[in-house]
Amino acid sequence: MSKPRSELSIILRGVAKDPLGLIGLIIVGTIVVSAIFAAWIVPYDPIGMNIPDRMQGPSWSHWLGTDNLGRDTLSRVIMGGQVALKVALPAVFGAMAIGLTLGMIAGYGPKWLDNLLMLFFDTLRSFPTVMFALAVVALVGPSLQTVVLVVMATSIPTYGRVARTQTLTLRNSEFILAERAMGASMARILGVHMLPNIIGVLGVLAAMDVPTVIALEAGLSFLGLGVKPPTPSWGALLKDGYALIRQTPWLVVGGGLPIILATLGFTFLGESLRDVVDPKLRKNR
Amino acid sequence: MFIYTVKRFALAGLILIVAVTAMFLMIRAVPGDPVSIMLGPRATPELKASLIAQMALDQPIWKQLLIYYGGLLRGDLGIDVFSGRSVVEIVFQQLPYTLEMITLSVLWSAALGIALGAYAAAHPNTMIDRIAAAVSVSFVAAPAFVVALLALLIFAVQLQWFPAIGAGEGFWGRLNHLVLPSFAIGLSWVGYIARLVRASMLEVLGEGHIRTARAFGLSERRIIMSYALRIAILPVVTVIGVGMGFLLSSAVFTEIVFARPGIGKLVIDSITTRNYPVVMGTVLVSTGLFVLSTAIADLLNALLDPRARSAK
Repeated sequence: MSKPRSELSIILRGVAKDPLGLIGLIIVGTIVVSAIFAAWIVPYDPIGMNIPDRMQGPSWSHWLGTDNLGRDTLSRVIMGGQVALKVALPAVFGAMAIGLTLGMIAGYGPKWLDNLLMLFFDTLRSFPTVMFALAVVALVGPSLQTVVLVVMATSIPTYGRVARTQTLTLRNSEFILAERAMGASMARILGVHMLPNIIGVLGVLAAMDVPTVIALEAGLSFLGLGVKPPTPSWGALLKDGYALIRQTPWLVVGGGLPIILATLGFTFLGESLRDVVDPKLRKNR
Repeated sequence: MFIYTVKRFALAGLILIVAVTAMFLMIRAVPGDPVSIMLGPRATPELKASLIAQMALDQPIWKQLLIYYGGLLRGDLGIDVFSGRSVVEIVFQQLPYTLEMITLSVLWSAALGIALGAYAAAHPNTMIDRIAAAVSVSFVAAPAFVVALLALLIFAVQLQWFPAIGAGEGFWGRLNHLVLPSFAIGLSWVGYIARLVRASMLEVLGEGHIRTARAFGLSERRIIMSYALRIAILPVVTVIGVGMGFLLSSAVFTEIVFARPGIGKLVIDSITTRNYPVVMGTVLVSTGLFVLSTAIADLLNALLDPRARSAK
């Protein structure tokens, strides 16, 4: 861990060597790139109505057809990727940062604090995610920020518990005992010595968590409780497609496939990352 | 085991108390006066006053909490704002529809997942193992509501093999209406369970008592069927228990997609009509269900695998 850059290139090379990892890398890369450059690559205005062209099936001018307002589905799919990542990335990183901090404190701190934090995690985890999300949205109203916050809150416990377990197994290892004997502070032990040993596992977890978050955002938007129209989101596409499933079924396909592809991509990437990061598991395969 | 059981249920109770309190405070923390939100802008002052008295909103917050808990203990989750019926009655009327759907989903996906996983573990690194792995990952990749929508589109709208709407009448009618929803909910579980069983099976197959059985010359089939599989399916029990929350979440979407009655549809309908007591009652019941099923899964796990008891 002394040279983080070479470490990263080793990990990436390891992932690219694994066929599934490579597929994951390509899918995730495509989604990220198309999301970043969405504004430039969309063939039509994703929210521009064009009533004469409404409800058209897939054709050369509209690859994925148009919806009941004549909006181009492909443009909305591409733009929807941006919305998906705008929700997923802050939520996952936020949950990881909070969960990591609390989990390490729980694992390293006094027993009563550990118990208290574990109760906190267990309580957060005790709400079925969607039910919790629905309750919050019902109370404070739907918006992108609400979705991010809800998703963050519900995934904190997962990171927290893993970070705690990792800290517990590390806390009595020799190099940590040596640091303590030399009088290192708790912050230093956790931040400098524990963190590099834990972050890899959590990174894998985060990669696998992204699709869950994307699906939740899409689900809430499908129910009309996520991002507000006319913002293009994969879930909103599904909602429009569902409402007119006999007239514009291509909307369901256009909204559903990106979600499945994104899930597939991030899962492959996460699994491959885990095999590279955790050599113990690699031997088993 | 007795002490562990008591401890586990005490923890479950504690979690529920914290969760209910948190939710109660959350509702009260929402900006705006709950009565106007509930009754809408056209409410008469008399209606408002009666609701305030009924919900004890004129009392201090700690007293409101105590009154709320008092109601909970008596099995009272409040009154539906519109129909005036008790929320408990409404929720428990819808619950069976959701539970039958979830149960069927778990049954078929666990059966198929265990078979796939055990087969893959018995033939590691063969072509079939690879295919099973790829299929499992792809299944896991499909969120229930997307599968539900695609299944609705393909099998109900285009092919018209199965009904698209409702819960059906009579045994066969109900079963017919359950096919697509439980397919949608169960699909991602097949892959998940298969992977879980494969991993734990490989681990079990490396253990001492299996090596002994091999040394005694037992057939591979016998070893897997009567020794390894029994231990290897333990994680499935825990995962299904812990996955209850996930199942309930999938159920919400699936019920909307197939316009099925159930607590998912109930909660969405109540949100759109701003029927807060019903929303909160449903969330509370499903949270209770989830906490209970997690506790039961832990207990089952401890019963089947004594090591888990001391690990806690």
